[in-house]
Amino acid sequence: MRALVAAAVGVLVALVVGLVMVPLAHQGGPTSPKPLLTSAPAHP
Amino acid sequence: MHRRLSLVLVALAAFLATLGPMMRWYDYPRVVEVPASQYQAVVLQAKDATLIDYGTLTGVPHQTVTIVQTLKGDTAAAAAEKKRTGRDVVVWDGLSYVLGTDGKMISSIPEVYVFDAHSQEPVHCCGESVDGDPVTRTGIEYKFPFDTQPRDYQYYDPQTRTSAPIHYQGTRDYRGMTVYYFEQTIPWTQVVFPKTMPAGITGLTPATITALGYQRWYTTTREFWVDPVTGAPVNGEEQHHEELRFAKGSGRAPVTVFQGDVKIRSDYLDATFGQVRSQRQLVLALSTYIPWGAPLLGAVMLGLAFLFEVRGRKRPARNGGPDSVGDGDEDGGARQVPPPERAPAAPLLGQPFGPLGFDQVDQSEAR
Repeated sequence: MRALVAAAVGVLVALVVGLVMVPLAHQGGPTSPKPLLTSAPAHP
Repeated sequence: MHRRLSLVLVALAAFLATLGPMMRWYDYPRVVEVPASQYQAVVLQAKDATLIDYGTLTGVPHQTVTIVQTLKGDTAAAAAEKKRTGRDVVVWDGLSYVLGTDGKMISSIPEVYVFDAHSQEPVHCCGESVDGDPVTRTGIEYKFPFDTQPRDYQYYDPQTRTSAPIHYQGTRDYRGMTVYYFEQTIPWTQVVFPKTMPAGITGLTPATITALGYQRWYTTTREFWVDPVTGAPVNGEEQHHEELRFAKGSGRAPVTVFQGDVKIRSDYLDATFGQVRSQRQLVLALSTYIPWGAPLLGAVMLGLAFLFEVRGRKRPARNGGPDSVGDGDEDGGARQVPPPERAPAAPLLGQPFGPLGFDQVDQSEAR
């Protein structure tokens, strides 16, 4: 029974961490790669 | 003590086992995105290229053409679109500024490219355009989506203002990184003249040149080496060929406007590769390392918890079964009956002693 309670607490904390991570990540700037430009333009 | 530790380990195991999938299927699609405030410049060069001389209307070989491409994220437009639709979008104001061997401007083409920050689906808003002409893009441009798949994509060609397949052609090793190689060929197609024509030539405008019956035709083969994790190309090349063609019946042969192999300058290649390599670790952490590593670590924790639990249960037996003194924090420890004072040592030696067997006699008790 106590093991079940411990597991439930673990799951709950993980859910909270996962949910909170999205607004936190957006606050500090999203994780993203820099794109690269490789499209040569036109010129007559 | 062992049992308390095993409970902590069970909680940790549950935490890690939940966190892994949560990262992959909830956080990853929401956190990983192209930032709206991107600013970047890349310099490309075509060495030994052929470039038209509008004075003589002939193609001049052995020219060096430099293209400075800049991207600037329009954060105000992105925020306005987010407020309107709730969607995370990126609005890129791009500019391709083309210089000849003498450093004079040949052309300058602005572009507004709008797309979903997470999926890179094109979004039609915020003045989406190429060279001032409103367009409606399909497919991708500049960058591939996160978690690029080994398949063909629709890639937008700003010259023809249309999308065409860019073909996946297998993996390549690029500076020790496994990348996807894509190639697209745009067949000869008539395209419009850029609105900004070379500087210093009086009277040369798209309208005047079109009125003379001149047509601009273009073909290109576009190559990309793409990091599949981030979708960012680490290298790109374009074999670009443009011709000025004349009205039918004029009897004049086409003139090469530009022909050259456009490549990214090596210093920008180095910088781009370094950037992509570091960023891909962040993306991999969310897409792979944590989603797989956390549940594995959780399994180890669960195993340890099981081990500690078993040991915790055996310990009372080692200390004399139900009559022994357990740890104060174990089940029933406080209620256990204390051992008889100075139990006789000799008779205990060699006696089976619970599940631990003959050799597990507490020597301190035996003494």
